[in-house]
Amino acid sequence: MSEIRVDKTIDCKGLSCPMPIVRTKKAIDEMQAGQVLEVVATDPGSVADVKGWAHRTGHQFLGTLTEGKVFRHFIRKSRPEETKTEQRHPNTVTNEELAERMANGGVLVDVREPAEYAFSHIPGAISVPLGELEQRLPELTSYQNQPVYVICRTGSRSDLACQVLAEHGFEQVYNVLPGMSQWQGPTEQSL
Amino acid sequence: MADAKRKVAIIASQGSLDAAYKVLNIATAAAATDAEVTIFFTFEGLNIVRRNGAETLTMGPGKEHWMEGFQRANVPSVAELLEVAKDSGVKFIGCQMTMDVMGLTKDDFIDGVEVGGAVTFLDFAYDADVTVTF
Repeated sequence: MSEIRVDKTIDCKGLSCPMPIVRTKKAIDEMQAGQVLEVVATDPGSVADVKGWAHRTGHQFLGTLTEGKVFRHFIRKSRPEETKTEQRHPNTVTNEELAERMANGGVLVDVREPAEYAFSHIPGAISVPLGELEQRLPELTSYQNQPVYVICRTGSRSDLACQVLAEHGFEQVYNVLPGMSQWQGPTEQSL
Repeated sequence: MADAKRKVAIIASQGSLDAAYKVLNIATAAAATDAEVTIFFTFEGLNIVRRNGAETLTMGPGKEHWMEGFQRANVPSVAELLEVAKDSGVKFIGCQMTMDVMGLTKDDFIDGVEVGGAVTFLDFAYDADVTVTF
């Protein structure tokens, strides 16, 4: 199994309700927006509770891995501005148009965090987290003159990524909207 | 993010150990979920916030055998949950009328317990999204 990269891990093994949630809240409060938290717990109630907690507090629940009696929950701390996205890159395609466009060539770049990508991504998408994009541009140079479709969860990180690509001479860059949060097509995991 | 904070009003009117858990589990979970929480301690419920009272709480009659299960499940202590509740901003109100009846003063309670009447609690409860009684 491939390891999921996280920014912080908290050990809640042996703790019963409500302590896993109390610790999760405390940990998230100390983290930066966009970072990923792993909560390791043995309380079976935490499976529903962590997901519910994330939903209620507006953070992004990525998924749970079960290993024997141990549950590994992954949560990404949301940015407040993710709800009100300001688009600046002019070229966009919709989720629905993407499959059709991809049939004519080009590449799909998923700029979400590795943990988000690991739990669910579009088959064939390349994972290049936004924070690594500039260093990893050489990997994409063969697509300089081809269509590059960029996707994230809600369109805001991909918008920034599109701007970076356009500044570096990529000629056909498209932001895929609204992004993975509304994606209805096939997905795969890499766990 | 959630818009305005949710408000949770809890009435604690029983003084057994299991009642303390019911009250404090909901209170701490609600606070962790970004809710504003106020607990109104009245009648035997005041036992939960008595100074050094957390250790003297016992299971209600016929429920003594649960103690074993509580230990097995590694449930946090009442004292620990009270700390977590206070740290996460849960407000404690002791019922003045019951205190008068029982001959108790503010000094008989752990730090952080405010004293108020029914209206003090109701003032919060009127705007609450959730109200629970134990």
